Amino acid sequence: MKPPDPAHLLQLLTWLSPAFPTGGFAYSNGLEWAVEAGDITDESGLGDWISDLLRHGSLWSDAIIMRKACRAPPSQWQELAEMALALCPSHERRLETLAQGAAFRLAAAPWPCPALEGWAQTPLPYPVAVGLLAGAHDMVEDQALVAFLHAATANLVSAGVRLIPLGQTSGLRIQRRIESEILRMVEGTQNATLDDCGGLAWRSEIASMNHETQTTRLFRS
Amino acid sequence: MQLNMRVVAEDYRLGDALSPQRARGELKLALVNDGGAGTRLADLYQAGCLKIRFPRAQDVGTFEAVTLNLSGGIAGGDHLDTHIHLGANAQALIAALAAEKVYGARVGESARVETHIHLEAGASLDYLPQETILFDNLWLERNLTVTMAADARYLGVECLVFGRAAMGEVLRHGELRDRIRITRAGQLLFLDQTRLSGDLAAQLSGKALAGGAGAFANIVCVAPDAGDQLNAIREAIRHGGGEGAASAFSGMVLARLLAKNAASLREGVVKILEICRKGRALPRVWQS
Repeated sequence: MKPPDPAHLLQLLTWLSPAFPTGGFAYSNGLEWAVEAGDITDESGLGDWISDLLRHGSLWSDAIIMRKACRAPPSQWQELAEMALALCPSHERRLETLAQGAAFRLAAAPWPCPALEGWAQTPLPYPVAVGLLAGAHDMVEDQALVAFLHAATANLVSAGVRLIPLGQTSGLRIQRRIESEILRMVEGTQNATLDDCGGLAWRSEIASMNHETQTTRLFRS
Repeated sequence: MQLNMRVVAEDYRLGDALSPQRARGELKLALVNDGGAGTRLADLYQAGCLKIRFPRAQDVGTFEAVTLNLSGGIAGGDHLDTHIHLGANAQALIAALAAEKVYGARVGESARVETHIHLEAGASLDYLPQETILFDNLWLERNLTVTMAADARYLGVECLVFGRAAMGEVLRHGELRDRIRITRAGQLLFLDQTRLSGDLAAQLSGKALAGGAGAFANIVCVAPDAGDQLNAIREAIRHGGGEGAASAFSGMVLARLLAKNAASLREGVVKILEICRKGRALPRVWQS
């Protein structure tokens, strides 16, 4: 494996920083409902929930899709985007991935990338957009995935900390706990195929569906 | 009786000299609507353990069929293949006579169940198999592929029961890969890939996962007006005994339900199916 290029690390830190305008802070992946319903009440509960998503839920599938988008030839991009969207089992999951994908594509304009052109009229799910950009810049796939999963989980931790609410130290302890999960998952998805997407995060998906009917909400999903 | 046959098959597996008894089943069904008389059978092929019966239809204009698996359950190495084709404007309801049991298998000796459904323009299918009961050490790969025209209608249900709670059975190990793939007007619309593998008891207890539920159902309705039923479905779930939710997107409604056991799951499923069927009663095999 080629050594990571510091220039690539620099770019990943930018693209997957909370300051990159994808609007990630507005989406909770159904976490807002799970907190409201009393499924997540404390630090360990939030950590367990995120860990379930990494192993058996949306984050697991997104990781595989992102890897594929990194490697795929242009002839497969469209099919990959369709599949990533078809795997989202609720209206708000679709909104979340498409709105972030579109915002990411626009925000990435200063880093010219032919792979991200031509999507203006075509739905572009978020993990596909990130994978296409990282692949176009010939990045080390594992590094890009680490950055992607860090951003996704940190966003959920941040949402949980605000919703439950928890102290900042609790949130950081969860991020520390999740580190090993992310690294295990980076290894576990190296040879995964698209058939390995999916899982059984049914209660998370039900939470996402129920969020559509939640009356008072801070998040769009 | 059927169960005993299966036990004999298990014994066979112990001796390497004797090859295990594996079930094969193939079913091909084609229906057409040539106007006037409504939907009728155009082609039928059945082989091995899969059979089909045709009860008198409850709804005028709808063709009813009931499938049976004569092998008495699915065991490792079994292979079942079903093809259903509805021509333009054909209307049908296909149910299964009974719940399907998936028995334990040796590691790697996967059973395969393939179902391919093809719906031409204006066709409408209610595909309502009954529960699939998963036994410990199951090893199953199941694929349901629906290819439909832009204005066709598809209503499908899938119920998974994790061991028979009433018999004190717990699901501990095994592997399930269960895929639903719906393509409408040439475009992939919905892809659901359930993957259970390894320590099933731990997975089924995860709070973001099955939360310790004993049964799960997935109901999909794809139709130009599918979204119209969303509020009624949500209302039914809210007043039902189990846990669940529904969402509408891209001309389809998806409902997911979890319940403590098969009986309470069925109660919720029946209500939602009736709403999706706009009040028409479920077939007789579901009324028990």
